[in-house]
Amino acid sequence: MARLLQIFGFLSVLFRGATLTFQSLTVGGIVFLIFVLRRAKEDSAALEQASLRWIRRSAIALAVMQISYVLANSLILMQSAEISLREAAGANFVVAGAIGFFSAMAIVILTGAQGSRSHVALLIPATAIIASSVMTSHAMARLEYRVPLVAFTALHQAATATWLGGLPHLLIAIRRAPSPDFARRLSARFSQLALISVAVLASAGFVLGFAYVGSLKAVYGTSYGAMVATKALLFGLLLFLGALNFQLVRRGPSSTILASLKRFGEAEIGIGITVILTAASLTSLPPAVDLTRDRVTGSEIFTRVAPRPPRLGSPAIQDLPEDVYAAQSRAFEHGSLSAESFVPGQAGTRPNTPAEKAWSEYNHHWAGIIVLAIGLLALVAQAGRVSWARNWPLIFLGLALFLFLRSDPEVWPLGPNGFWVTFADPEVLLHRIFVLLVIGLAAFEWRVQTGRVASTGVRLVFPLLIAISGALLLTHSHTLGNIKEEVLAELSHIPLAILAVMAGWSRWLELRLPPENQTRAVMARLWPLCILLIGAALLNYREM
Amino acid sequence: MQLGRRSLLILILFLAVVSILIPAPAAAHAILLESSPPLNGTIKGPDVPIKLRFNVRIDASRSRLTLVRPDGSAQPLVIGKPASPDTLSAQASSLPAGDYRLRWQVLASDGHITRGEIPFTVTPS
Repeated sequence: MARLLQIFGFLSVLFRGATLTFQSLTVGGIVFLIFVLRRAKEDSAALEQASLRWIRRSAIALAVMQISYVLANSLILMQSAEISLREAAGANFVVAGAIGFFSAMAIVILTGAQGSRSHVALLIPATAIIASSVMTSHAMARLEYRVPLVAFTALHQAATATWLGGLPHLLIAIRRAPSPDFARRLSARFSQLALISVAVLASAGFVLGFAYVGSLKAVYGTSYGAMVATKALLFGLLLFLGALNFQLVRRGPSSTILASLKRFGEAEIGIGITVILTAASLTSLPPAVDLTRDRVTGSEIFTRVAPRPPRLGSPAIQDLPEDVYAAQSRAFEHGSLSAESFVPGQAGTRPNTPAEKAWSEYNHHWAGIIVLAIGLLALVAQAGRVSWARNWPLIFLGLALFLFLRSDPEVWPLGPNGFWVTFADPEVLLHRIFVLLVIGLAAFEWRVQTGRVASTGVRLVFPLLIAISGALLLTHSHTLGNIKEEVLAELSHIPLAILAVMAGWSRWLELRLPPENQTRAVMARLWPLCILLIGAALLNYREM
Repeated sequence: MQLGRRSLLILILFLAVVSILIPAPAAAHAILLESSPPLNGTIKGPDVPIKLRFNVRIDASRSRLTLVRPDGSAQPLVIGKPASPDTLSAQASSLPAGDYRLRWQVLASDGHITRGEIPFTVTPS
């Protein structure tokens, strides 16, 4: 039973992330179609059809994700609270999911209708989709200032969808534009819309941040506060890219700017999706204002991050506590491990033993040494003087082997649990997926660096995987309570994640920007530097 | 330069992979702010009023309270009409002295369930 709930819990989380992504793409597409494409005052029927097709695809995906999410969550509720399907059907999340589903289906029907000239009617289901999302937000559940918080949340989400969800549609339109000049005009129009969206989402975000975080001490003292700060930082990165785009549109000649514009747009979409997912992960945490006890203090953070020699010796595997799976499922069957709140299906909150912490520190420090070596060699290889340095991606294979052996000592090959446990426990499964990602990274990038492939697709695997790793780290599961150790661990992961996102997208831009763009040279130096810094940060990672 | 089909495919793959791999999104999980009887507290029996306050509005009709008696048997409690949208209340009657555990499970607005346990001791009146 516990295992079943764990799997459904994991599934519901996946569906929720996908729902938010497709929601932004659907709503952003509709806004783009009505306020950018339709106002272009040019015969753009072909472009309109392409845009409608992408909106319809996003809406279908959204409908599928909504229904899957509601089903998985209803099953969890029916099993854990022992209530009937009829009772579960009246729950708020089911109503919200139904609104989202039917709105998405309405968009599918409307975008499929032939001969429609105005698409303004699409704004109604788009608004309903935002409303259904707001129905399950923190704002709706608050007791104080509910109405203004709901309004600001709706504005925040609508503006995010307009900007980040509209970007892919802009790139598609640019690709199909009949002339460079027309593409440039589209970009200029979208820039104006994006500027307004940014202003709205930043203002609403500031108000919401103030309401949910409340104080500067809560920014670094709670997981929620730290994630809000991370979101703000990533938002800053997006603004920087947006500003580069804006400059291009305003100054450059149509013939040369479009290539750069598209590349910056791609990076913006990638970082934008990371921000949306960070926001989604943020909403799984109780607002910082609700957690006033046991916050992490500035001096505790300072003590934790003060440089110390790395731990190069590992504790023996026998020193680790008994099988954590048995402990977790026992705790689950008994209701809880402690008085803390927790989510059914989520791992418990048993504090780590000193041996477990030492095991983890050892893992991080050796991984740090490996990553440091990768960063250094990549920098040397970029300088182009030492030819063998180009083989640096092979070092990733060592990292993969190390992670495979050490990340889950309770599972095969080191631990008593068999290989198949890997697929039943989301955390172990994620670690194993990470190992596969690292192997993929080594294989693809080595071929790229040594000139064995020239295909653009293969060259982009490395930056994408690095960026995905960063996004994964940012949305790694969080604790509900304000458990100091968990907050401190999260604070140490955040810089690694941000550096990974920066490394991934700067390498992407180095590969994709046209040679005449001067930013390309800066990007070529930036990503090895980010990897170097990730190695240095890992070397100073502490759990005690 | 054009955004090739392959690049577009990679971008879409990226969206899909990130959406699929991400462990966490959810919304408005409820956490317990205060309770009566308090955590590890002592209260006079035999009739014990129970009140739990959370940080958000909760769906009381789809939430559960269970009392685990000193002998390990579990008794579901009838949840009364809540005084405010963030509270759960119930009445446990005729409790002999001993160590009890109150298990709670609540549904927040997004459909996510949180649960926990409050150990407490009942003393003779």
